[in-house]
Amino acid sequence: MRIIVKAFATLREIFGGTGILYLELPEGSTIKDLLEKLREQYGSNLDVSGFVDENPSVKILVNGREITYLDGLGTRLRDGDSVAFIPPVAGG
Amino acid sequence: MVTRSPLYHRSQVDKLSPEELERYDRQLRLLGFDVESQLKLKRSRVLIVGVGGLGSAAALYLASAGIGFLRIIDDGYVELSNLNRQILYNTGDLGRRKVEVAAKRLRELNPEIEVEALGERLTEENVKQILSDVDLAVDCLDNFRARFILNDACVELGKPLIHGAIYGAEGRLMTIIPGRGPCLRCLIPREPAEHDKIPVLGPLPGVIGALEALEAIKVITGLGEPAVGKLIIIDGMDLSFYRIEVRRNPGCPACGKIKIEGI
Repeated sequence: MRIIVKAFATLREIFGGTGILYLELPEGSTIKDLLEKLREQYGSNLDVSGFVDENPSVKILVNGREITYLDGLGTRLRDGDSVAFIPPVAGG
Repeated sequence: MVTRSPLYHRSQVDKLSPEELERYDRQLRLLGFDVESQLKLKRSRVLIVGVGGLGSAAALYLASAGIGFLRIIDDGYVELSNLNRQILYNTGDLGRRKVEVAAKRLRELNPEIEVEALGERLTEENVKQILSDVDLAVDCLDNFRARFILNDACVELGKPLIHGAIYGAEGRLMTIIPGRGPCLRCLIPREPAEHDKIPVLGPLPGVIGALEALEAIKVITGLGEPAVGKLIIIDGMDLSFYRIEVRRNPGCPACGKIKIEGI
């Protein structure tokens, strides 16, 4: 299945280009699987502060809904889902 | 140097002059906004922390809306690289202290209000004193560290705080009312790395700064529904807007011990 990943702010720069990625994942994959795939691809660059932990500063949205209110990192993805990674920003 | 305008007398604020009625005519026509709303703005005292990109827009709109007392704080000087977004300043202001140029501009825009300019940096040492006699603070800062100093003091003193931030063509906005919703540390549990000289498209701080002014007006007048517990995210690149729920963190080091109002 194909997942659309949209990265915001500093993460957009790590992903490069427009910050939009199209990824192929096996059926039944979760957010956790997606993160592992992204780590493989972008390595330690993704380990920015608070990207993923028990109390993340980076908000992860699936089709506009935050995963905290779905099944967290265990949220299952479906073909065509859009996943947004939104880190905090500090500019003024 | 600190510029102070004549002392403002809150007690005299029980009516609007004919000039004020005309100046604020268009907002007085707004459903749910009356002379008493305008008097609430006139009696209110607002702190704007930072007069860069966000602060330029927020300060201009709050001054023009008739906030009776505006305190602006920033230790910066106008630089050429500010002018793609900091609309309080002109090219002729290069090298001048931002708060002094800003205060003059805001007083010219609205001579009915008082503007106090503090040409210093907000620190753990001065934050409580600077906050003590205002009703609300607007976060127009450009770094996380100072934002957390402001957040913690606002939570401790029970002052509403309008949080805004930008990066590139993106913006964030959340209204913090201590005890009624999450604070900045609930939203951002770990202080992220700071970035120097970040990319910014000028209209973004304009949009977010204007929305911060809107939220401040709403909180002061009771109009509408402020974005308490709601993080607004704007991506200017494709004009997508997200509004996500943010909950209080019961273990929050800043606001975790405050009781929830009205529940």
